[in-house]
Amino acid sequence: MNPCSGPLPAFGLSRRDFLNRFGLGLGSIALGHLLNPAAAHAARTGPDLGILGGKLHFTPKAKRVIYLFMSGGPSQLETFDYKPLLNQRHGEQLPDSVRRGQRLTGMSGNQASLPMAGSAFKFGQHGKSGAWISELLPHTAKVADELCVVRSMFTEAINHDPAITFLQTGSQISGRPSIGAWVHYGLGSANENLPAFVVLITRGKVDQPLYSRLWGSGFLPAEHQGVQFRAGKEPVLYLNNPDGISAGSRRQMLDRLRELHEFERDQLADTDLDTRIAQYEMAYRMQSSVPDVTDLSKETESTYELYGPDAKKPGTFAANCLLARRMAERGVKFIQLYHQGWDQHGGLPNGIRQQCKETDQPAAALITDLKQRGMLDDTLVVWGGEFGRTNYSQGKLTATDYGRDHHPRCFSVWLAGGGVKPGMVYGATDDFGYNIAENGVHVHDLHATMLHQLGVDHERLTYRFQGRYFRLTDVHGKVVKAVLA
Amino acid sequence: MRHLIRHLCLPFASAVIVLSASAAPVNFSREVLPLLSDNCFHCHGPSETGRKADLRLDTQDGAFRVKKGKAVIVAGKPADSELVKRLYTADPDELMPPAESHRTLTATQKETLQRWVAEGAVWGKHWAFESLQPQPVPALKNVAGALNPIDAFVRTRLAQESLTPAAETSRTQLVRRVYFDLTGLPPTPEEIDLFLTDTSPHAYEALIDRVLLLPAYGEHMAQEWMDLARYADTYGFQADVERDLSPWRDWVIRTFNENLPYDQFLTWQLAGDLLPTPTQEQQLATAFNRLHRQTNEGGSIEEEWRTEYVADRVHTMGTAFLGLTLECCRCHDHKYDPISQRDYYSLFAFFNSIDESGLYSHFTQATPTPTLFLYGEGAEAKHQLAKQQLKAAEARLQEVSQAARGRFSDWVKTNAAQALGTPKPVAAFPLDAIVSNRVESAVGSAKASLSENPELVAGKVGQALKFSGDNSATVEGAGNFKRTDPFSFDLWVQPTTKQERAVVFHFSRAWTDSGSRGYELVLDHGRPTFALIHFWPGNALAVRAQNALPTNEWTRLTVTYDGSSRAGGVALYRNGTPLAIETVRDNLFKDIQHRGEWGDGEAGGIRLTLAARFRDNGFKDGVIDNFQVFDTCLTAQEVARLHSAAALGEPDFATYQARADEPYRAALTALKQARDAENELVNPVREIMAMKELPQPRVTHVLKRGAYDAPGDVVTAGTPERILPFPADAPPNRLGLARWMTDPKNPLTARVAVNRIWKQHFGRGLVATVEDFGSQGRAPTHPELLDWLAGRFLDSGWDRKALHKLILLSATYRQSSVTSPELAARDPDNSLLARGPKHRLGAEVIRDHALAASGLLVQKVGGPSVKPYQPAGVWEEAGTGKSYTQDKGEKLYRRSLYTFWRRTAPPPSMLTFDATSREVCTAKRETTSTPLQALVLLNDPQFLEAARMLAEQTIRAHGDNLGARVDAAFRRLTGRLPQPREREILTRLLTEQLDYFKAQPDAAAKYLAIGERARDATLPAEQVAATTVMTSAVMNHDEFVMKR
Repeated sequence: MNPCSGPLPAFGLSRRDFLNRFGLGLGSIALGHLLNPAAAHAARTGPDLGILGGKLHFTPKAKRVIYLFMSGGPSQLETFDYKPLLNQRHGEQLPDSVRRGQRLTGMSGNQASLPMAGSAFKFGQHGKSGAWISELLPHTAKVADELCVVRSMFTEAINHDPAITFLQTGSQISGRPSIGAWVHYGLGSANENLPAFVVLITRGKVDQPLYSRLWGSGFLPAEHQGVQFRAGKEPVLYLNNPDGISAGSRRQMLDRLRELHEFERDQLADTDLDTRIAQYEMAYRMQSSVPDVTDLSKETESTYELYGPDAKKPGTFAANCLLARRMAERGVKFIQLYHQGWDQHGGLPNGIRQQCKETDQPAAALITDLKQRGMLDDTLVVWGGEFGRTNYSQGKLTATDYGRDHHPRCFSVWLAGGGVKPGMVYGATDDFGYNIAENGVHVHDLHATMLHQLGVDHERLTYRFQGRYFRLTDVHGKVVKAVLA
Repeated sequence: MRHLIRHLCLPFASAVIVLSASAAPVNFSREVLPLLSDNCFHCHGPSETGRKADLRLDTQDGAFRVKKGKAVIVAGKPADSELVKRLYTADPDELMPPAESHRTLTATQKETLQRWVAEGAVWGKHWAFESLQPQPVPALKNVAGALNPIDAFVRTRLAQESLTPAAETSRTQLVRRVYFDLTGLPPTPEEIDLFLTDTSPHAYEALIDRVLLLPAYGEHMAQEWMDLARYADTYGFQADVERDLSPWRDWVIRTFNENLPYDQFLTWQLAGDLLPTPTQEQQLATAFNRLHRQTNEGGSIEEEWRTEYVADRVHTMGTAFLGLTLECCRCHDHKYDPISQRDYYSLFAFFNSIDESGLYSHFTQATPTPTLFLYGEGAEAKHQLAKQQLKAAEARLQEVSQAARGRFSDWVKTNAAQALGTPKPVAAFPLDAIVSNRVESAVGSAKASLSENPELVAGKVGQALKFSGDNSATVEGAGNFKRTDPFSFDLWVQPTTKQERAVVFHFSRAWTDSGSRGYELVLDHGRPTFALIHFWPGNALAVRAQNALPTNEWTRLTVTYDGSSRAGGVALYRNGTPLAIETVRDNLFKDIQHRGEWGDGEAGGIRLTLAARFRDNGFKDGVIDNFQVFDTCLTAQEVARLHSAAALGEPDFATYQARADEPYRAALTALKQARDAENELVNPVREIMAMKELPQPRVTHVLKRGAYDAPGDVVTAGTPERILPFPADAPPNRLGLARWMTDPKNPLTARVAVNRIWKQHFGRGLVATVEDFGSQGRAPTHPELLDWLAGRFLDSGWDRKALHKLILLSATYRQSSVTSPELAARDPDNSLLARGPKHRLGAEVIRDHALAASGLLVQKVGGPSVKPYQPAGVWEEAGTGKSYTQDKGEKLYRRSLYTFWRRTAPPPSMLTFDATSREVCTAKRETTSTPLQALVLLNDPQFLEAARMLAEQTIRAHGDNLGARVDAAFRRLTGRLPQPREREILTRLLTEQLDYFKAQPDAAAKYLAIGERARDATLPAEQVAATTVMTSAVMNHDEFVMKR
């Protein structure tokens, strides 16, 4: 078989070989992958469909993904994984029979005692599914019947860097392409004037750092890397004309530049110059399409109310969720949000209360908003962090306070839309909230499932690098069929 | 399955480019082996695991096996060869490769295998593992004039393809190519003119010679090497703290400029420290193996990360020097190349024996060990002198001690001797009562505050404190010692459980999170262990008792230290009697305190603490009583007396001289002063990470699945036998490894190096996969030429400048890159070399080009990294938690190889132009073309300021002559004069923009305010602004970013 069931016409040609065989040259395709140039290049007809050329492996249920990444590792025990036993046995030592000698981090691993800590927050059952959701997430609870809560996620990494890198690239050691880059590479772009893979980070959160490689392209060509949109005057780096240069002045310059390039093309008979011309025309178009998508001023008051009071403050999670919806409307394929601050080693009750306050309403609003616009069906929304948190307290357990260390063995995420079964809870942990009791979902499984919903077989979207074909899911991953509608 | 690494082993197909059908016999290594490798080796290859039918096709024996009457291959008889039959069978159970493997062969590929068998099935090795053979230069017919041998190889191939070479490119293009390729900078108009006006037949050669001598050559080559060496200014990973390894970069630049032979370049970097009496530079070169990322993320498991570092060294060595994907065999035997997992760990063993930690320090600013001193001006001489003085003071003390013998025999009979008491402690905690959560010292003013309620229990004497392992007592007012201070501790302890590790007391901020800076008494599997530490393990001393303490029994422990910074200066006593001890480390050479001038956090805030430490194992259920601190080194007799008054009696000689012999005490004071003086001199000396072997090599295991905690068989250092046996007389260390690599018989090293240099000039290697010469890599387009060049490179003594010159002198290089659409379609990669090279300039070169053309470039070679313009908030808004403080003045205009490289947020304009993040060794950058690149060139202040500077120059030189301004700017930015049509377009732009700025004087003022360099106020603003738009337009012209 061809390693990618895409348009590779002959055995064993790399993508570049293929393109070159067809006389396109890499440059024109690179453009297509960042911003589909539509008619910009004579050699291209029709939209940019990525390496798969639109020949998807399955009927796609989702056309795009919005990934709400909760960086730092939100506690499942304060959000979606209700464990009354921990309240009953609050303060008792974690039994060895539960821990089973599994490794802990060096932060709490050397503690002399590991007292179990019950959640300080009340849980209730919500929606027809009766999903247990904590009082910290009242808005999320209201959309419970749209969610598929997976309580049996697990990972292998125990520290932030490898764990977040694993969730975002399928490997703990950095160097692999991010999931958004894979999607971009495989599926191309649906908007000729916006990047296909966009990154939005909540502004002003100081916690575990993020790294640009999390949305990097790894060994894929650089055009597949995510483009970070920033709150403020210049949403994309270098987007704005310099001070003193009006749109008219810039257009004049670009017109002359185009004439120079056309002259050169005719002199050299080199079609690369067409690529160069398209590159500048797209840059110019981007200068208007980006401000258009980031301008929230035309949103209605009711929309602002839906997303909550932060929605009018640029750079907040609420504003970013709203922006994500606008990008989804405009065909951006992969919209990656990050919200830092979930790393509550100590002072967890106060810390997580604040985190939930910042994220609960906007995340729920995004679901509601997509639904009322008829977009939830073909938009896959994912919420979750890089690992869970321990059922015992890191540091001192007091009457009102506790902390929780990193816990890779179980955590909760939710999925919504994009052909995922709504109103469902999948998987379970043991009564201690320490180990998975049933239906464990590995990071690779989540990735396989996400790609599946986009119509992609995770085993068949590959890229050759250093003599091997790589894929997002390494040699692992199973689609979690049970959560599919 | 919880480890950092899990490797990918996917089936895949490799590209075998056969550009034309050839009647020549099938070549095994180029045509057959790649097919076998791609399609068969996954199940029938070198890997023992997963092999099907016990059949291997990677060896001749396997491929010609006859089993149950069936032969895999019968030479000359494809119809009798199972291998061929299975390709064509209609029976799905018999078909190979099987359908479920998702591998298929094309009709041509099947035909190739069949033909090869028919032609006799001549077996061989993968081409890159065959040793170099002398390659005769082909004789060409019908060619006038002498040709470079390179051309003979290239044209022979072109003739086979019925192609003719392109004409020579223009001299203006040629001079530009030579400058960009060798220096990464454009030629100045004067440099162009010098070449254009040189009518000598040797003008071109003279040009190359001239350019090879420019310091910019070394800078450009260093920049290329930095991608492979994964050079950056931060550690990478989570916290991504800054570190400065620029002295290594400076060495690389010097090395290229001095044309250090490549074998030396390689040897110094891999093993400079192991050369006989290595020079400072040879040791500095070894920083190469410390440029990998490191972490200090809290809670990380030290050995897990140390294993990653060693693995990174192996992978980098493999990619950079050997063109091998060694990372494939970390978890299992290589599926395609003859490298086993055991080979991998044998290579791993070479890099596994330095005294390093898997975590760098969070709370202190210590250079991770091992390190090399980088003395400032005159500092080394001063330090040497101080060390001599210290030695002299020690010798003096010995002399005085000898002389004291005589005085002792008189003194011992005096009343003074009878009256000599035991030294008094500076703090003594009876631990009998807790008052307001504190315990008090019986002497002096020291107090200890308790955290998390240690319990008062019955003690050895009165009460004692029992600790939980998490709670502690923090002493205020005692214990703040330097490494030159003598001191002693005395206490009763009662461990109640067997702990792998228990902290009894310490003076430090943390364990691995601070590199253990300070001193500590730890029970290591119950064995008292005392250490003084600057950075664990490489800058520390530690001694450990040979036996464990009993549990549930009181033990009096006494520690004495003489201020010598030597393990021999520490003694441990149990119940007044010296304990048998062993030295764990004896290499302390910097102070153990936190110091503000080092940038240590919490300097001055560290306290002596009992029973627990940040993220360490506390003294769980341990009891401590009568804790005493002395600011002197107690003698053995004094320790005995502390324990038992019955040990009273006449003072012994050691006690006499320490307490009563004035000449000895004076000499001791002098020695202390000498130690302090040396300490103060060495503390500020800068260190850089380097390689230095442990006295005893660390034992290396095969790691099952590559996991740090799954050790398998023990292996010793060695190299893959099937590539080249390890030289019998070479030492089994990194120096031996370098010898093996630079052995002329090594089939890879020279080929890989030559190929990379070729790629620098042609944009593509003769082997396109510069990073992979294994059987899954691409076959060379010109195998004989590659081997001829490699042989020539060896013969030249690994002379890189000579190789550059040889390539640049070739007619192949000098061809025009302009081609017909037909040829472009037929050979889009220019793999046949029927035309000259053409490719986009690299990220750094594009920026440097703008700086050079505008006259802004500061041509200062070397030094620490600089922080040029970067859009505000990049580090902050990417969530790194770091702030970028842009530099001022000349640091804004240094060459881009000096730009500060934060691994978690590299300079965005560089990334946009395909620079790598420098996290891991990268042999090849992809070249993309995106609108974001246009936005950088259009709007980045760095380019706008350069455009303005160039505009000002052209106005000063050419006044109101707009056409002349255009000509000058165009030539400066593209190396040639504009054609009339180009001049007309740009002059029109200039006129249009003049109208715009005349109408908008404010706009001109704003536009000209961009960039820190002040504008030339003597020039009319609207003229400069309009001209800047014109120069900026040329900076966005294709020719500005392209080498053609």
